[in-house]
Amino acid sequence: MSEKAANDLLMVRLGQLVVNERYKNGDFKVPIHLALGHEAIAVAVSQTMEPEDQLVLSHRNIHYNLARSGSVKEEIDEYLLKPEGAGGGWLGSMNLSRKSEGVAYASSILGNNLPVASGMALANKTREKESVVIVVTGDGAMEEGAFYESLTFMKTFGLRVIVIVEDNGWSLASRIHERRCEIDLNQLAKAFGIRHDTMEGNDIARYIETLRDIREWTMDKNEPVIVHVLLTTLGHWTMKTEDYPEGKFINYHAGPAKTVNIGDGPVIENSEADPVFVLKSRLDETEFDKLVKNQLQNLSGELP
Amino acid sequence: MNYVGFVNQELKKALKDKKGVIVFGQNVGTGSCVSGLSRGIEKETGCRVLNTQNSENTLVGAGFGMMRNGVSSIYIMKQLDFLLLGIDQLVNTYNYIRVFKPSASFTILAVVVDNGYQGMQSSLNNLADFCSIARIPGYAITNRRDAEKIIGAHLVSPGFRIIGLSQRLFGRELIDFEQVISCEADGGWLQYTDGADVTIACFNFSIPQGRGLIEALKDKGKEASLFSINSSSPVEWSPIIANACQTGAIVVIDDIKSVNSPSVDLVARARGEEKIRTITHITRDFSSLDWLRPNADELVLNNKNIIHQALK
Repeated sequence: MSEKAANDLLMVRLGQLVVNERYKNGDFKVPIHLALGHEAIAVAVSQTMEPEDQLVLSHRNIHYNLARSGSVKEEIDEYLLKPEGAGGGWLGSMNLSRKSEGVAYASSILGNNLPVASGMALANKTREKESVVIVVTGDGAMEEGAFYESLTFMKTFGLRVIVIVEDNGWSLASRIHERRCEIDLNQLAKAFGIRHDTMEGNDIARYIETLRDIREWTMDKNEPVIVHVLLTTLGHWTMKTEDYPEGKFINYHAGPAKTVNIGDGPVIENSEADPVFVLKSRLDETEFDKLVKNQLQNLSGELP
Repeated sequence: MNYVGFVNQELKKALKDKKGVIVFGQNVGTGSCVSGLSRGIEKETGCRVLNTQNSENTLVGAGFGMMRNGVSSIYIMKQLDFLLLGIDQLVNTYNYIRVFKPSASFTILAVVVDNGYQGMQSSLNNLADFCSIARIPGYAITNRRDAEKIIGAHLVSPGFRIIGLSQRLFGRELIDFEQVISCEADGGWLQYTDGADVTIACFNFSIPQGRGLIEALKDKGKEASLFSINSSSPVEWSPIIANACQTGAIVVIDDIKSVNSPSVDLVARARGEEKIRTITHITRDFSSLDWLRPNADELVLNNKNIIHQALK
């Protein structure tokens, strides 16, 4: 595993933990969807991108924006709607993009970004640009009609698009089986004649290797690809009511993650669901602690 | 020449040196080419014409995506109603894109289904309903003069707009006027005649009715100033109000079926002017559900009554 990948992963995690503490403190008026547990795919995507590639995001975009920019301060300044923020105070959280870092568009509306990504890829093809559009969606957004419309469009016009489906199994407080039938994404992709890959386990080195192979393939074939990423959004909590005296599991969706504290360290969960835990398990303890220390120093330098 | 033939000719003229522009939509490159609207564009202009699937949400979003990446495009839409499926993109994506002041152009050219006997889908005959949700510039084309002005100024210019065409007018002889006396710089309104007795302002696609009223006035020895209001949003009304202050009478003709019409704004403005003695606001009758039945779908004026009321 490259040191850069490890450092970036920790930066994205620690950056989010800093944002979370400020969020818990009531510093932000804009709604923020943290992506604790999504760091591995974000860093892998960022490290796969070539200079001309474009990233198209959804409302949950903090992990990609941090991975692309490396700046927690610009992210926080945007959430505070300051002119020096990443979007000049115009975009807030759910539409936050950074053209100079290849983040071309972000939308707060489920499924909205897929048609836009389709058009961007068609424009790139028209202008004969050697680039790929990577669009991030999820298991909730793929329920929208725009998902199917856009796959048709991408396939019809032979567009270089990598569709990342971040599948955490939840939409707001509903699990998949509580809201819809199962959709076999692999079979669905086959129906469109589109390549499909699945990624899980949060092994960042393997993620980067797989994505680089996929990028090369889409550049060569002029075809879209669906990448199904199984992950867990960390930061759940337990709701106790009269109906649920023993407590009901509530998956994290948005707002401050109240059960997550920066003082507890960068690892949130001791399982494969946590990319930082996976990273830690790949390194010896001294090496991991050194990386964390370096990242904390960088952060304190940026955020005095 | 008929209306659609002239619009097609103007489209080709405007696209002549615009080889990088993509023209796309359902049936734009096959069959009748949307009743002749897009016929010959690829061959005669060199623009790329893409026949597409039936996915309005994605097609509108793709137009904005191309715009984001510097490619201008025109989405030709067979029915304005189809745009209902693209409303998310009209609001949320347009609001994002406009912040960055794009240099590329995106135009939706939509045909309003007002040709009669289409049933309930023809209840939506108003560009302003779409334009108002995100303050989108919108223009209706009714005749030779406004077609030249609006297509020339807006079809491929930086930014986004919706241009509306009337299906009812498609096969009809093109309406023409001898001259344009004055117009709003963006083509929001055009004035075709100047008369001392009545001011007529025609909204949406009601210019044929306005022309009919002028002829009826001539029979009575009266002269009218005629304006077409092409913008889907309220514009600077001062020149029209000034004209009405001189004639003392304004007739506002509006064939829009929605409650959301810029004509209401003009009438409100006219009501504040003492010099305007009579204000006649002609709209459709919605007192029963009959307007939803398949019908001829054309606003019919009682010119005799209107003239009587306007000149009293």
